[in-house]
Order: sequence, then structure tokens, then C-alpha cells
Amino acid sequence: MSHKIAAVGSAVVVLFVVTSLSAHHSISAIFDQATRVAVTGTLTKVDWINPHIMMTVEARSDSGRVDHWTFQSNPPSWYRGVGLARADFVNVLGQTVTVEGVRARDGSLSAYMRKIAMPDGTSLELVNSADPK
Amino acid sequence: MANLRFTTFACAIVFPVAALAQQSSGASGSGGVAAHPDLSGVWTYAIDRAPAALKKEVNGTVTIQRIDQSARYGDTSAVRGVRPSSPAPSYKPEFRAKVKDLFDHQSKTDPVFYCGSPGVPRIGPPRKIVQLPNELIFLYEDISGDPYRIIPTDGRPHRARANPSHYGDSVGRWEGDVLVVDVRNFVEDTWFGEDGYFHTDAMRVTERIWKDGDNLVWQATVEDPNVLTAPWTIPARLVRPSMDSLEESPKCVETDGPKLLNDDHHLQR
Repeated sequence: MSHKIAAVGSAVVVLFVVTSLSAHHSISAIFDQATRVAVTGTLTKVDWINPHIMMTVEARSDSGRVDHWTFQSNPPSWYRGVGLARADFVNVLGQTVTVEGVRARDGSLSAYMRKIAMPDGTSLELVNSADPK
Repeated sequence: MANLRFTTFACAIVFPVAALAQQSSGASGSGGVAAHPDLSGVWTYAIDRAPAALKKEVNGTVTIQRIDQSARYGDTSAVRGVRPSSPAPSYKPEFRAKVKDLFDHQSKTDPVFYCGSPGVPRIGPPRKIVQLPNELIFLYEDISGDPYRIIPTDGRPHRARANPSHYGDSVGRWEGDVLVVDVRNFVEDTWFGEDGYFHTDAMRVTERIWKDGDNLVWQATVEDPNVLTAPWTIPARLVRPSMDSLEESPKCVETDGPKLLNDDHHLQR
């Protein structure tokens, strides 16, 4: 289980915004869209809360340290709108997932999730609604 | 439009409230409720959600699930009964700098960003309406919580001693097939629009709600003579019947505020 950070040069940046009623801050106010992180580890916590769902992944760094990464994502209403429920994530607690996201600008072990590979191989990715890849 | 149907009864028949509460959505008629269209029903989610789609890949099969945002962004200008609107309110000159400042720092100044109540009219049309002979019940789903409103239509005046609130004090009346809701008695800590549209406790909101075929149309006008030069009529929203029943919104716990490193929020709505 490991994590890696990749600086992305010319990647197509998908802009996510966490909306409350009508808008929320851009994730770029907190997360650096050019610094992508991929973390493979154990899903240890799922918080199905507003305005962002939160998930914690326990991963071992290259130096052997156990890190606890926090990934936030879109609101529960968004997930509901695309047909995903809390149970879809809670059901894989304790199992290995790979989460990709953009890392917090403050250098903390937190990121905004853009993709998750579930234990059964299912891939869930947030893409631009206007032009899905 | 031609497909708007409702039946007028010469003599309204009073039915037990419990029976009326179970009435299905659609035009009133079978139960003889009244001479008004029945606005009851569950309606599509009409507030903004993240402009992203879900790409799901299972065993090499890719599906894309998009969010239905038509109720928020659909063009309603040609819908029957919609009144002319403008994209933004007109503030008195002395308040325009304040609006701009609030907008420019919206990530930090908008109460909705911090689990605050959107209030009326910002919350938009209700997710569910229960229409009874003398009142309507509006139910909402929102990140800040799931408010409700009771709209009396029996001719009573506004409550004289009601405390001010985010959703105000409502009184409804029928103008033909349009439900007109007069809302007043607001607290001042909401915005009536997302771009820094602050108001005072003198704000009054008039909501107009009607059926267009099977759909529901909602349009609001905001008045606040303390800060606006004229009433502002918001572009109407058209919501479709929904099979997605209401669900309690999870608690709102905003933790991003201290982490915000800039005011970036533009171009993402």
C-alpha cells in the first residue's frame, strides 16, 4: 500500500465545485489542481456529511510510515443524483481501494477525490459533465 | 398552455384532511377539492449541484451518469405565465460597492457556504408540496437542513407576533390558477441571490407558482426599498414531477473555511 504524488503538466483539469444551495468555493481555493495524488490503502472511514462526503484511507508511505489520508468529495445530494449511496462505500470499509485526487495546497494529507478504484475493480470517476471523457 | 387542465366545481366539497393529504399529484378534480389546480407532488431537485458527471467502469463497460440540472438552468422565458425577469437586482448606488465586495469574497462571506440557511427565495421551488383546502405545505431538501413552510390560503393575515426567520411568514392566495405567496418578516442574515445580494428586514418576497402541463413553474419577485431601486423578478424555474422521494439531508459540517487560500469561486457555477 502506498501513495504517490504526481505533478501534472498539461493534464485536462476537471473543475469540480462543491455546491451548497447555489454555489460553494472552488476546490482550487484549497486544493492544487496541478498536484495529483494517488493513494492505495485501506478505506477506514466514511463520513456521509454535507457539504462534502469525507473518506479516510490508511496507507503506508515509501518510508514505511502509516499515513491517514482524508479525501473529500461532492455533497451527498450529488452522489444520490448519480445513483451512489453511502452503502456503496461503507460496504468496502476495511478493504483496499485506490483513490486519486488533487492535493491540498497546505501540504496536509488531504485531497479532493476525483477517482476511486473499488476492491472489485469498479472504477468511479468524477468527470466534467459537459464533456465526459 | 392548452394541456393545463383543472376542473372548476360550483360548490366546493369539504373533505377530511387525511383524505386530502393522500391525494396524488395532478389536476384536482376527482375529489372536488376546490376550484384551484393541485400543486401537490414531488418535484425535481432545483438547486445547484456540482457540475460533474460520474463515469463508472465495470468490467470494461463505461457508463456516464449526469446530474439533472434542467430545473436550475433551463430557459423558461417562453413558458406560459412567466413574467419578464432580469439577471440581477438593481441596488441603490450607495450599496453597490458592498454587493461587489461580498461577491468578490463570496467564498468567505456567503452564509450558505458555511451551512447557513438559504432562506426565501434563494432556496427556490419546494421539493414537495402537500395541498390542503386551507393551506399548502412546502417541504425542502437542503444542505443546511430540510426546512418546511406552511402557506395558509384561507384569507388570514400575516401573523402579528411571529419572530423573523430565514423563511419568513407566508400567506397565500389564488389568482386564477396561480398560487401567489406573500412572504415577509425575514432575518437579515441571508442572501436572496448567490452574488452577494444582501437585504434588510424590510425585504418582501412574492412567489408565484403554477402548473404548466405536468410541470410546476416557480417565479419570485424580491422587494426591499431600503437597498433596491426596484423590485427584482428572478428568472422562473420549471420543475418536473419526480420519482425521487425526499430524504433527510445529512448534517452539515463545514471545515474548509480556515483552509481557503484565495477567494476563487468564479467560473464554476
